[in-house]
Amino acid sequence: MTVSPEKPARKLSMKQRYTALTHDLDWTPTYVTEEEIFPFTTFEGIKVHDWSKWEDPFRLTVEAYNKYQAEKDRRLYAVLDGFAQSQGQLGLTEARYMNAMKIFLQGIPIHEYDAHRNFSYLARYANGPGARFAALCQSMDELRHAQTEIHTLSHYNKYFDGMHDWHKWSDRVWYLSVPKSFFEDAMTAGPFEWLIAIGFSFEYLLTNLLFVPFMSGAAFNGDLPTMTFGFSAQSDESRHMTLGLEAIKFMLEQDEDNLPIVQDWLDKWFWRGYRLIALVAGMMDYMLPKRVMSWKEAFELYFEEQMLNGLFKDLEYYGIKPPRHVQWAIDEKEILSHQVYWVLYQYSHAAAFTTTIPDEADQAWLQESYPETWPVFKAAVWDKAQRVQDAGGRYFNPGLPQLCTVCQIPMGFTEPGDPLTQCQRQSVYEGERYDFCSDGCQWIFDREPTKYRQSWLPVHQIYQGNCGGPTLPDVAAWYGLQPGDGAEYLGSPDHQNWLAWHGQAPKED
Amino acid sequence: MAVRANYDYDWPSRSAAELYGDDQLVHIWWKGNPFFVSAQTFRFPKAMPFGELVGLCKGFFAADPDFVPDAMDTVQWRIDKVDVTPDMSASLEANGVGHKSLVEFSI
Repeated sequence: MTVSPEKPARKLSMKQRYTALTHDLDWTPTYVTEEEIFPFTTFEGIKVHDWSKWEDPFRLTVEAYNKYQAEKDRRLYAVLDGFAQSQGQLGLTEARYMNAMKIFLQGIPIHEYDAHRNFSYLARYANGPGARFAALCQSMDELRHAQTEIHTLSHYNKYFDGMHDWHKWSDRVWYLSVPKSFFEDAMTAGPFEWLIAIGFSFEYLLTNLLFVPFMSGAAFNGDLPTMTFGFSAQSDESRHMTLGLEAIKFMLEQDEDNLPIVQDWLDKWFWRGYRLIALVAGMMDYMLPKRVMSWKEAFELYFEEQMLNGLFKDLEYYGIKPPRHVQWAIDEKEILSHQVYWVLYQYSHAAAFTTTIPDEADQAWLQESYPETWPVFKAAVWDKAQRVQDAGGRYFNPGLPQLCTVCQIPMGFTEPGDPLTQCQRQSVYEGERYDFCSDGCQWIFDREPTKYRQSWLPVHQIYQGNCGGPTLPDVAAWYGLQPGDGAEYLGSPDHQNWLAWHGQAPKED
Repeated sequence: MAVRANYDYDWPSRSAAELYGDDQLVHIWWKGNPFFVSAQTFRFPKAMPFGELVGLCKGFFAADPDFVPDAMDTVQWRIDKVDVTPDMSASLEANGVGHKSLVEFSI
């Protein structure tokens, strides 16, 4: 063994260290072909001529990454300890606030874990070292997010219903098939489509609409742990946004033939993501005792202003157009949350969260935020639900809803410009009919019918006998729901406990 | 278009008619009434008379406090968006109601 006569430099600069620890570990294979090592980066039709053009603007090393993340974790877990010791759950605005966190816990951490898995796959199978290393960091982030979200919210499981079996629910319960199908759709696509689906559309286009409402909602409603988790994740999110933007620019700069493929994916994943976060719209406008802003305002600020008038102006340079069906989303901003919460309200007897008729203060806020559409909805549905309640009942839908084959949400969305007539779209493929809630979901199906005809639609699965049995108690048992997890909030164990904790009424038992 | 995949991608439907034997799924839609947030999906025998479906509707939609069951006797029915006058004693199948058909009315 020969020793290099040259004296090594005393200390490498940050940039040199990054290059040495990431790019310099890359080599050109000689025993096997590149195609054999990286077999998944050609079938989607994306042409890449030079992987070294993939820039990683953060230039993090694993060492630096670990240091930052450890520090953030220390801070988060200190807050969690303090919160638990001081009985912090008593300082929430109201027990019903937890419904927002139940939906978050049931619908998000498991898919952070999915994202962790798929970014690990990219960290192995992307041809370029820059892309691989960025994917590795994001993979570790996603795992940490799943863990910290679960740890953060597990504190509340000691005090509230609807949090004990989130893992099973994520896999089985009807409304949670919405995020599940979204992520499984992305994971079963190729690596480039995944990058547009999750890296770009989800983490860049829509991330503020997803996270800001939850985290600001937490801050406004006395939920310090969730707020701290949010801050802890925020610096990762900015790195993820950068990766998403880098991914789309890289594809567009490598070959002009990539443009139509990328545009198609963007059109598809904008609509998939937008339909997914409809759940957030319902949560924001109806489930937070203290609101941050309305869905409509959030959509205008985070999507119309920042994305349509900002990002898409930049992407015009590459020939990218705003997403197909974006106008439909804009037209829906006045009615989306009303429709989603109405779905949740009438089916919450089969869910792991509770709902209730908006009280007087809620209704005043809804009137102010949606002066044109709230009165229409109130008259069409809430006044009736109130009458049912006044007569000693509680309106739950006695049947099962027609589901959209693509987004899997009950088909309660309406025709543009007509807030009361549900939209009905159908396609026939190889002799079988399929239903859709919108032009966007129908367009997605028509592009890839052999993919979406495999949709695991909860209602159809119940009717096929795959969900524990034919009756509601059978299905609820198979879901793993217990009394108190779902149905009406008023009078629920969460509500009664809350009153008892605050000395407002004895707990009936 | 075909799914872009690195193998011959073709998988069957998870809700194909043959999965339901002699039954089929039928969507019933009270158009223009958002109290039932969407059309409702049922599993019915293909041989069930259409009149029985009307009878079931009279019970089901009573969850709406304003519903008058007799109104169902005079509604204009539509099957897959086409106006029809169903034969109440004939089967769903004979009336043209197929797997995942949309049976619609408004009051």
